Amino acid sequence: MKRLLPSLRAKKRYLAFELISEAPVSRNDLIKEVMFSASSLIGDVTASECDIKVLGFEDSKGIAQCSHARVKETRASLATLTRVNGKRATVHILGTSGTIKRATEKFLRNHTTFEPELKVNFKKAGEL
Amino acid sequence: MGKPKFYDFCIHAVPDGENTAEQLAALSRHLGYSGIALTNHSDKLPLSQPVLPSTNEFEIFRGVELAEENPSKLHGLIGKFRKFVDVLIVHGGSETVNRAALENPKVDILNHPAFAKSSGLNQVLAKAAADNDVAIGLTIRPLLHSRGQRRVRLLSDLRANLDLARKYDVPLVLSSDAMSCFDLRSPMEILALAEICGLEEDEALEAITIVPEIIISRNRPGPGYIREGIEVIEEGDYF
Repeated sequence: MKRLLPSLRAKKRYLAFELISEAPVSRNDLIKEVMFSASSLIGDVTASECDIKVLGFEDSKGIAQCSHARVKETRASLATLTRVNGKRATVHILGTSGTIKRATEKFLRNHTTFEPELKVNFKKAGEL
Repeated sequence: MGKPKFYDFCIHAVPDGENTAEQLAALSRHLGYSGIALTNHSDKLPLSQPVLPSTNEFEIFRGVELAEENPSKLHGLIGKFRKFVDVLIVHGGSETVNRAALENPKVDILNHPAFAKSSGLNQVLAKAAADNDVAIGLTIRPLLHSRGQRRVRLLSDLRANLDLARKYDVPLVLSSDAMSCFDLRSPMEILALAEICGLEEDEALEAITIVPEIIISRNRPGPGYIREGIEVIEEGDYF
């Protein structure tokens, strides 16, 4: 099939994010949870306009894609994510950019994910 | 205008919440806040209030959230705590408590005003809130943890209160009402969520930056403060 002209392609924004979670999370679980929280907050219709996709996710850091006109809705629905696979987790958006390259360079390259300390404490709380 | 300073004025630490004050402070700092207020419920205060270091970029305010059903006891508690805290929140939830809180100018914020079949405010209470400069607290945690019918209810209550607040010019404060680290969200996320829930962009920004600053400056008068409206701005030997 003929590729769509660049000027006709949907404009996108890329959100660099980190996941603060109790336990390590797999990409598939995260995607499921993101979609669920988006459709329950803004509804299926708006969620489809947002065009949310989790592109890469590794090491608690990742990049999500959304429509350039729906960044706010996407941010809000990512914020309502509270649990992934039964474990508590929070998405913290580090920044937005128009290209994947720039989002990676600017926000993810030198970013160390927060709180090794917290995780230790949660394990302790679980043991008690 | 530089970068706005964001504040979260309703965070519950141990023993009310789950995490220690240090952990909550570290995470909120990481998320981009300039200050937080630790506001445990009055029946779950820590035995000794640890003095936490405040730096120029990050400040920790002392606060309390009063949970008391009896209005006259509530007024007593307000008087008792007012001297020691920077942020005084009342946990609403019945008509009498809401009324008592909004009619007391010593109160800073009223949280959770909603009760059975009512958003918790009406024109009388909204007017009282505006007169006494008591802000209405919009809390994020219930919105995050509920789905479906319960969240719909919360959102419609929020809209009803928002309409009243706009009409009578009542200040609003956005806060997380966090019980643990996982209830904290970064300021940008809270702004986005607030806008989805019906606030205007500038309203939401004001509710998380300017209104908290006003509350703090009101409760921490400068060195020249004498009484309301009288202040020594420039000192000199006039006599």
